[in-house]
Amino acid sequence: MMLLRRVPRGHAAAGLVFVLLAIYPVFYPYATYYQTVLLQAFLLSLQAVSWNIVSGYAGYVSLGHSAYLGLGSYTTAILALHWGVNPLLVAPLGGVTAVVIALALGVIVLRTRGHAFVIITIALLLAMQIVATNWRSLTKGSDGITLELPTWSRDIQNVPFYYAFLLLLALTVLFSAWIRRTKFGAGLVAIREDEGKASAIGVNTTRYKVLAYVASTFFIGVAGGVYAYFLTFLNPVGAFSILASVMIVLAALAGGRGTLYGPAVGGFIVSIGGEVATVHGGSSSRVLIFGVALTLVVLFMPSGLLPTVEGWWRRRHAETTEYTDQAGALAAGAVTAPGRAAAPALAQALLEPTGVESAEPVLLDVRKVSKRFGGLVAVDGADLTVRRGSITALIGPNGSGKTTLFNLVTGAMRADSGEVWLDGRRIDTMAPWQRGHLGLARTFQTTRLFKSMTVQQNLVAPLPDSGWRRMLASAVSGSEADRARELLDFVGLGRFAHRPAGSLSYGQQKLVELAQVLMLEPRIVLLDEPAGGVNPSLVGRLGDIVRDLNRQGVTFLVVEHNIPMVLELCDPVVVFSRGSSIAEGPPDRIREDPLVLDAYLGDEWRPPGAEVAAGPDAVTGTSVEVTPGRSAAGPPAERGSS
Amino acid sequence: MTELLQALILGLLIGGVYALMASGLSLIFGVMNIINVAQGAFLILVAMFTWWLWKSTGVDPILASVVTTPLMFGFGWVLYRTVISRIRGSSTSMSVLLTFGLALTIEGALNVTAGNKFRSATPSYFEESYHLGSISLPKPQVYGFVAAVLVLSALYVVLAHTWAGRAIRASAQNPSGAALVGVGATSTAALAFALGTSTAGVGGSVLSVLYPFFPASHYDWISRLLGIIVLGGMGSLPGALAGALVLGLAETLTATYWSLRWSTLVFYLVILVVLLFRPQGIFGTRLREDVVA
Repeated sequence: MMLLRRVPRGHAAAGLVFVLLAIYPVFYPYATYYQTVLLQAFLLSLQAVSWNIVSGYAGYVSLGHSAYLGLGSYTTAILALHWGVNPLLVAPLGGVTAVVIALALGVIVLRTRGHAFVIITIALLLAMQIVATNWRSLTKGSDGITLELPTWSRDIQNVPFYYAFLLLLALTVLFSAWIRRTKFGAGLVAIREDEGKASAIGVNTTRYKVLAYVASTFFIGVAGGVYAYFLTFLNPVGAFSILASVMIVLAALAGGRGTLYGPAVGGFIVSIGGEVATVHGGSSSRVLIFGVALTLVVLFMPSGLLPTVEGWWRRRHAETTEYTDQAGALAAGAVTAPGRAAAPALAQALLEPTGVESAEPVLLDVRKVSKRFGGLVAVDGADLTVRRGSITALIGPNGSGKTTLFNLVTGAMRADSGEVWLDGRRIDTMAPWQRGHLGLARTFQTTRLFKSMTVQQNLVAPLPDSGWRRMLASAVSGSEADRARELLDFVGLGRFAHRPAGSLSYGQQKLVELAQVLMLEPRIVLLDEPAGGVNPSLVGRLGDIVRDLNRQGVTFLVVEHNIPMVLELCDPVVVFSRGSSIAEGPPDRIREDPLVLDAYLGDEWRPPGAEVAAGPDAVTGTSVEVTPGRSAAGPPAERGSS
Repeated sequence: MTELLQALILGLLIGGVYALMASGLSLIFGVMNIINVAQGAFLILVAMFTWWLWKSTGVDPILASVVTTPLMFGFGWVLYRTVISRIRGSSTSMSVLLTFGLALTIEGALNVTAGNKFRSATPSYFEESYHLGSISLPKPQVYGFVAAVLVLSALYVVLAHTWAGRAIRASAQNPSGAALVGVGATSTAALAFALGTSTAGVGGSVLSVLYPFFPASHYDWISRLLGIIVLGGMGSLPGALAGALVLGLAETLTATYWSLRWSTLVFYLVILVVLLFRPQGIFGTRLREDVVA
């Protein structure tokens, strides 16, 4: 409710400010100084709003974003002189240049996760300075380029520029707002919150990041063209100014990184504040002032002005806290069929209710897969087959390579050798999101929800395919919102849809994560310790849900230490030890298998009555051969549920 | 041939100095996941201090590193305790923004106090060279290289053979594990940060002789140093050494065969080409991260 009321209020305020700014020159056409101050603020605001697309939404900070202003300026100035046209006509080409450079750089630097990006953005600014200084035949070097003065009357000299920048600012804000509403925007926020998780739920993180970077440069490039004409002179140091980049970062941060209007507000504050400081303190102390301001903002107001004010407002007008109750979660909702798996699945379920026989085709096939970390072989030539329609368990002591195997199957890591096949397609060279689009989903050992998003936003974040249309569709569109509500009801958490995911209990978060990956309409779900840290009643609920889904055709591969749950729920059970499987079979047989007992419990341990049943020689004899010295490493604490 | 050999040797000498400067940055990133954008400003700060010391007392600028290194160690320790530690636990991008703010603050303060003009310490051997056959070895470069190698070796000894060094390496590999066995996270981080900034002590003193500098030069330096650690692989000390040598060679070779003005750009192009084929850098690795809380 709060959200619904607040958003239009923000838009209304923004619209009002726009109208006021638009009519200001009509009443004061000759107030050149104030127009200049305002148009500089528009320029900084539009840069900050643009910057926010890649550095706020996606969380990849760019410290050299003013380079695109310079690129736009130089492109426009050079083309205008060369073709003899008005710079305003070719200013959009400045945007094109910015986009091309950003695309090239983004494709190289943004393929990996991590921090190369921010560093390259600093280098970009300096590299551009070097090029502009030394490519004299094109840029006239440090002499700079002088453009002809504007053709209109000097009395109203700045009015056209004022409107040009105001228009560009409005367009940039609308563009940013549109991005935020799409699944693309939701995916960017998901990347900022947890990039590995985002790629696991079908978000093509590379494409998203590169597009965000490109999108954050176009309007700056266009504005650069207009700015060149406004200044009528540009040189390398001025056009590729680091202080300009600093002001962009400071503006977006002070206003509120990641929000829609924050960077725009910050642009006005920083630009006008900087002007006041220059008038009263001289320009030599500008760097010092901006430096101190940036440091203070990071230390004491890291989320920015708008979110801080909003948080203060919300504390003043606190909502009544709705306690997360277990009854709601435990009350089973009506079971609904998950999308595309549904139709054939239900038919299948009728034919073969439970207990899958080896006649079923293999869905997931892991062949001789190995992965080493330095000297440690985590997965060692492991084979694993999961048959369609089964609930296969993967058990084994801690450190036996189960989660690493999950990572190899889902693409979070690349195997050193071996192959992974899903339904007859080799997937081990694919990116995680491609595997997701083929119907492979996973949950994580420690849940990885996007904690600052609501439960519903978490549910609509997954992308079941890589189509552009879906990417640019509204994030919470009708059918998907319905589907999300359906799944939430299914896991019994429908009433928590609009709460932040981080406020739910651990067990509830596990259920939400399961519902989240079901949005991918998966054919197979890999569950990594679904019962770990979950209270017993929820564990029971979880088992029911898995069984329900399985009956509808979803195949499961479950890593779990809660052996009673495994033995009751799963068939077959695969036992992992030291990076490969040592036993496989129906739960009853696994329960008795001496190899398994040994791997879990060590050489010394005997099952009660085992001396009679199997004889000590049989047990220890085999085990020593297969898993020597296991007793030292395998703590008996893993016996029961963790 | 002589020309090539001359360029290679000069590249190695300069690369050694770069290696020293970049290793501090790499250490700080490796242990704390902090990209210290202020390292360039630290260098310029020390260079300015060294220049002032040399100008007012005549102390040899490179020898001055005996003073500036411990000073920067203390400076780094205090800075970590009072400022940097406040953002522990927030994302790496916050550390970038914070240290960026610090860099600007230092630049601004130098602007206001010392003025925005080029300086360079010019001791008596400033333009002298040793000669090896037809190859000349400029004395400042040689001394700078020697100082860099000494400090790098000392850093290596500290990291490899002392309890504090093991604590730092342990924290870098597994912070929570290190904390469990009694390695205090904050004090170790402060120590690592102080060690990292202390390399800016020698680095800055050497810089004051080798290159003219002014307050805003720190952008040049930080983008070079960050380029080195991106090229070598973030957080990898061997990577920092390799990246530094590549930079040194790229600069001298470009300067010899083309033009000094393009040398930095050539280095950036080298980085982009390497990242094209090896997105994680030369020595970079990717680790399991799914269970990291």
